[in-house]
Amino acid sequence: MNRHTLGAGLLIGLVAGLLLPDVASAVPVFARKYGFDCTMCHAGMPRLNDFGQRFRQNGYQLPGMENQERSVLDSPPPVALRTSAGYSGTLVGEQEAGSEESAFRLNGLDLLSAGRLGPDIGYLLVYVPQVAESRGVAGQEGSLEMASIVFSNLGARGLSVRAGRFEPAFLPFSVKRQLAVSPYEIYETSFPEGIAFAETQSGLELSGSAAGGLRFAAGLLEGGSTNQGLDSPGDLYCRLAAVFGAGEGQTAGQRLGVSGYLGRARPSATVGGDSSPVSFNRIGVDACLNLGPTSLALQYLLAQDDQKLWGDDEDVTYGGGFGELTWLPRFDLAAFVRFDFVDAPEVADQDLRRFTVGGRFYPVDNVALHGEYSYRSVKAVGPDQDDLTTSTVTARADFAF
Amino acid sequence: MLGNGAPEPLERGAELSEKEGAMNRSIRFALIGAVLLAAQVPAQAERGFLANGLLPAMPVPADNPQTDAKIRLGAQLYFDTRLSADNSISCATCHDPRTGWANPHPTDTGIGGQVGGRNSGTVINAGYMRFQFWDGREASLEGQAVGPIHNPIEMGETHENVVRKLNGIPGYREQFQVVFGGEATIDAIGKAIAAFERTIVSGPSPYDRYLAGEEEALSPAAQRGMRLFNGKAHCTPCHSGPLFSNQGFHNIGVGMDKPKPDLGRFDHTKDPADKGKFKVPTLRNIAETPPYLHDGSEATLLDVVEYYDRGGIPNPGLDPLMLPLHLTAREKGDLVAFLEALTGPVPEVPIPSFPVASDLTPDPKGGLR
Repeated sequence: MNRHTLGAGLLIGLVAGLLLPDVASAVPVFARKYGFDCTMCHAGMPRLNDFGQRFRQNGYQLPGMENQERSVLDSPPPVALRTSAGYSGTLVGEQEAGSEESAFRLNGLDLLSAGRLGPDIGYLLVYVPQVAESRGVAGQEGSLEMASIVFSNLGARGLSVRAGRFEPAFLPFSVKRQLAVSPYEIYETSFPEGIAFAETQSGLELSGSAAGGLRFAAGLLEGGSTNQGLDSPGDLYCRLAAVFGAGEGQTAGQRLGVSGYLGRARPSATVGGDSSPVSFNRIGVDACLNLGPTSLALQYLLAQDDQKLWGDDEDVTYGGGFGELTWLPRFDLAAFVRFDFVDAPEVADQDLRRFTVGGRFYPVDNVALHGEYSYRSVKAVGPDQDDLTTSTVTARADFAF
Repeated sequence: MLGNGAPEPLERGAELSEKEGAMNRSIRFALIGAVLLAAQVPAQAERGFLANGLLPAMPVPADNPQTDAKIRLGAQLYFDTRLSADNSISCATCHDPRTGWANPHPTDTGIGGQVGGRNSGTVINAGYMRFQFWDGREASLEGQAVGPIHNPIEMGETHENVVRKLNGIPGYREQFQVVFGGEATIDAIGKAIAAFERTIVSGPSPYDRYLAGEEEALSPAAQRGMRLFNGKAHCTPCHSGPLFSNQGFHNIGVGMDKPKPDLGRFDHTKDPADKGKFKVPTLRNIAETPPYLHDGSEATLLDVVEYYDRGGIPNPGLDPLMLPLHLTAREKGDLVAFLEALTGPVPEVPIPSFPVASDLTPDPKGGLR
């Protein structure tokens, strides 16, 4: 793919944006059940707003209107098909010169269903079908990315129990519902072949709220891939957050939170040594500050891993985080800028920085035209080596039927 | 692995000839274009169960069928001030057809200049509502119609006395005999007024015409407002269905910062969960019935939008649907444009002639303030 393709692609995006009506009457499939516009639950789809957060917490029922809901047994279950198509180009620094990539392709495909099974019982299912890699189509392995059942409004505190495979509340900023294509680096960072917190996990989670704007969650998880083969689910986490002002701290109200994660994992064969399970832990602090249509998300995560997970002779400590500013000047327009950093442990010595800026325009309810630039730099390992830099440009359309 | 969030390598694929490459690009472009166009499928194809739609036929209770004679009698009673203790207040005094069949003042002024605590709801489409009054204490329009008669700060009369008065007016006595086969009773009075009120129905609004396929019926601003109404502004969960009301009760915080707030539905049910809840009003013809909210505290539709935009007044029972909305000035204007587009024509009802007075009753004062 070349400059002509890029130009043509951008032209198509521009023309599409101009030709599509200022307001469309398309109803997103996932919102068909209610007749809602996606912006009911999303502030810049797929990012949830506070209403969406309450809807999710309430087991995919409208808060306070549970008795008016129809279950999936009474009406066809909402099923959505999500994918994206567009251009992505990557330029790399001198260190890996020649590995530049640039392509138009369809990226990702999944089927999503969620709804109410009965009074205060909801479900969410995201199925990713296997797609063979071919020219213009990104391949993907088939998986059940999420499959969870939620029992909500248990007891006076509005407790919810979520079981299955889901996004744990340990992560305050959803990887699946972020605006940017570029990942939250610290959520991807771990020991060799270690857990990626960005992934969904299997287990059980209890969550709820208390007086004074407190939100809490605790869970028991199967853990990451290196935890497989352990005798029992081994990872525990908890989260406590306080919300000041009206809202959930998503797009309204101010939220401060702290999370802790206690995990166990087997050292990778690549680092050698004993493969008996050892411990690792994470502690994170986060804030989501909202002022009108502007949100500032802040996250810092501190990691401490058993030395055996790194093949080192001392326990390894490292940290990182991000700051992300999101602005929604209109309901159909979102802009974001983010800075990621990871101060790697000495044993790896690969400090990482990423700067990302982008925007999304929603010409119709279920389509997002996405533009993004991201610059990523990884500190050189050796004194004579250059930093590994990567610049990525993405222009694509995301859509859900 | 450390930093494993790097973008995965993009698949370049095998080298193609220039011709094959051009064809490949064309297919991709066509795919993108087709998908973008497919996203424009009209909403009318499928609507959710909370979607707003056209008004159905007016429901009529089996024990109170509509007849012309009954409607004529109901119209007379509706405008007749002799239903009040001092013959000064009629239904139309607070539900004035000249002001959207509602009261242009924040709260009602009843008999003897007494001021009530709530804004008068409109009679337009009231026959569709499952609950009457802001607190829903009456289930039927018939019950609602006679409620204010014996309210001490509205009409201040007793049911017994109003029945006696009407039976003392030959013109009324004769009509009750024809319509109900007997003398006036409080039930018959309620039925006649309700039958008349069921004729006060709004006709097709620009929104209805838009739903019927008349794209130009809604201005671009109103169309944007419609999308906001169903989305970012969070209106639809409560203002749903053809009536733009789910006919439920919600605590949106209005007046809850007062030392002794009006507790609304709770005063009727005594259920603590109902504290501060009020009936969701219809939004049809809402532009004709300022001021707004149960206490008439917001003068304009824009003021109401501003109130919701702030997320309501915090209180222990505040509805979880109430959240700050962060609407822009343009979005607020668009929302108001949409609300104004819910206005349809309402039958014009002239003030009827009243049965002449008798020794027991004075002449009516015309019904309107």
